[in-house]
Amino acid sequence: MTMSYSFISAFKSLGREKWINILSTLTVASSLLIITLAVFFLYNIELIANHLPERFSMMAYLEDPLSREETRNIIDSLKKRPEVANVKYISRDDALIELKHTLKDSRSLLEGLDENPLTSSIEIKLRREFVTPSSTSRIAEEIRKIPGIDTIYYGERIAEAIHLLKQSVRNISIIIFLTISLGVVFVVYSTVKILFYRKNEEIEIIKLLGATSGFIRTPFLIEGGIIGLSGGILGIVGAFVFYFAVTYRLSTVIPILKTLVFPFEVLIALPFVGIILGVIGSAIAIGRIRL
Amino acid sequence: MIAFENVSKFYDHNTVLKNITFTVQKGEMAFITGPSGAGKSTLLKLMYMEELPDEGNISIEDIHLSSLKMSEIPLLRRNIGVVFQDFKLINNLTVFDNVALALHIRGVSEREVHSFSSEALKKVGLRHVADSYPKSLSGGEQQRVAIARAIVGGPVVLLADEPTGNLDPDTALDIITLFRELNSQGTTILIATHNRELLKNTVKRLLRLDSGTLTEETVL
Ligand SMILES: Nc1ncnc2c1ncn2[C@@H]1O[C@H](COP(=O)(O)OP(=O)(O)OP(=O)(O)O)[C@@H](O)[C@H]1O
Ligand SMILES: [Mg+2]
Repeated sequence: MTMSYSFISAFKSLGREKWINILSTLTVASSLLIITLAVFFLYNIELIANHLPERFSMMAYLEDPLSREETRNIIDSLKKRPEVANVKYISRDDALIELKHTLKDSRSLLEGLDENPLTSSIEIKLRREFVTPSSTSRIAEEIRKIPGIDTIYYGERIAEAIHLLKQSVRNISIIIFLTISLGVVFVVYSTVKILFYRKNEEIEIIKLLGATSGFIRTPFLIEGGIIGLSGGILGIVGAFVFYFAVTYRLSTVIPILKTLVFPFEVLIALPFVGIILGVIGSAIAIGRIRL
Repeated sequence: MIAFENVSKFYDHNTVLKNITFTVQKGEMAFITGPSGAGKSTLLKLMYMEELPDEGNISIEDIHLSSLKMSEIPLLRRNIGVVFQDFKLINNLTVFDNVALALHIRGVSEREVHSFSSEALKKVGLRHVADSYPKSLSGGEQQRVAIARAIVGGPVVLLADEPTGNLDPDTALDIITLFRELNSQGTTILIATHNRELLKNTVKRLLRLDSGTLTEETVL
């Protein structure tokens, strides 16, 4: 019952200071929208980054000559490894055909060859989770030791780049989220501070009438929460506008935009993020109340 | 019961109350009089802890105020009704909401808030201005709103600082009659006033404060 009174006085006070509240709600909304858009872009980069490991492969070149039996054994032992997704044997003849195909416009390069200079090889694709700099180098080291394998080539750089990309996406997300959250907290803080100062005289009277600090504080926390909540809801609206603009309007011009994925879970979180940041901002603004 | 024991109060080395000792028994109605600046308001402020004494002890209903934690102060204040000398009404709340606020603070249910507030306004003769704002009332009407707010919560102790300062003699007498009624129901009442007219035939007990020193006057 005291709670309902707190809500009533919070709403009254929001109505009395309309413009300040509308302005700070809009500021919170645009900040939360920026977070959403950042999440949107970073999420799509992350999706792409997640598919990159599928293109990653190691090439194991076999010693020459190797019997059919020996080759079989090597392939089997590679397949048994838990990190390996699949292996593909490329015989030296296949490799030559491939090479000829690649160089079909400059056939003269291969003219002097009477013998196949290439070696047989095995292309190894790793499971996604093992495409990290440390495990690729470990796996390569272990495969190199298998008898019959001459050398192994793999893009150390690629594994590193993928890793770095994912790491940066994560770091940038955290930085953007923290900075903008801090901004939202500050906006609500300033707003509630103003409301609090304007009501200073009233608060002093209420104290003398026997109000607890909770009774004084609660309406302001509710106000901060409502500003955050409305900002979050407006942010959702803004994000939808953005989404439809991108997928329906822009994608007719730039078709690749159609493949972008929108993380709708993030939208559902916006109002809650708004409430939490709003309440934190107003709690800081009120500070400790001396009765 | 209100008990002061060797209480002194200084404002920047200026002694406002000097070594004050007195008790007001439970259910008693007492008056404090004295010239302007004598320290009457200060004395009352010490009781609801708007100010703290520099020396001595104060207890109300056997609670030593100095032993109260900050979180316990609201409970003390809810048991004391105060008519402030400057009213302290909240200008952006209606008369009704000003009175009701005292009950909301006490966590009283919505339904009771309504009936108690109307009742209190009726007692001070202001039911017809319930929806007005304090600024649109006369000084005397504002004062009676302050009185309604002080009594609405059914306080154990009622402190009234110059409660008839803005009232005509007839209305003043009505208010004193109201206080008497509350007193007869067991409320301990302490009234600060320099209204001699008021003191004439209503006083049961009179304390005189003069430049910070308290003396008991014999009532004829
Ligand atoms: N906050 C304060 N700071 C400094 N001096 C103060 C303060 N409050 C009161 N005083 C001083 O204390 C003295 C007593 O003030 P108080 O208000 O208690 O008098 P009073 O008896 O209520 O007077 P009145 O009849 O005019 O209301 C005055 O001289 C006043 O100047
Ligand atoms: Mg005074």
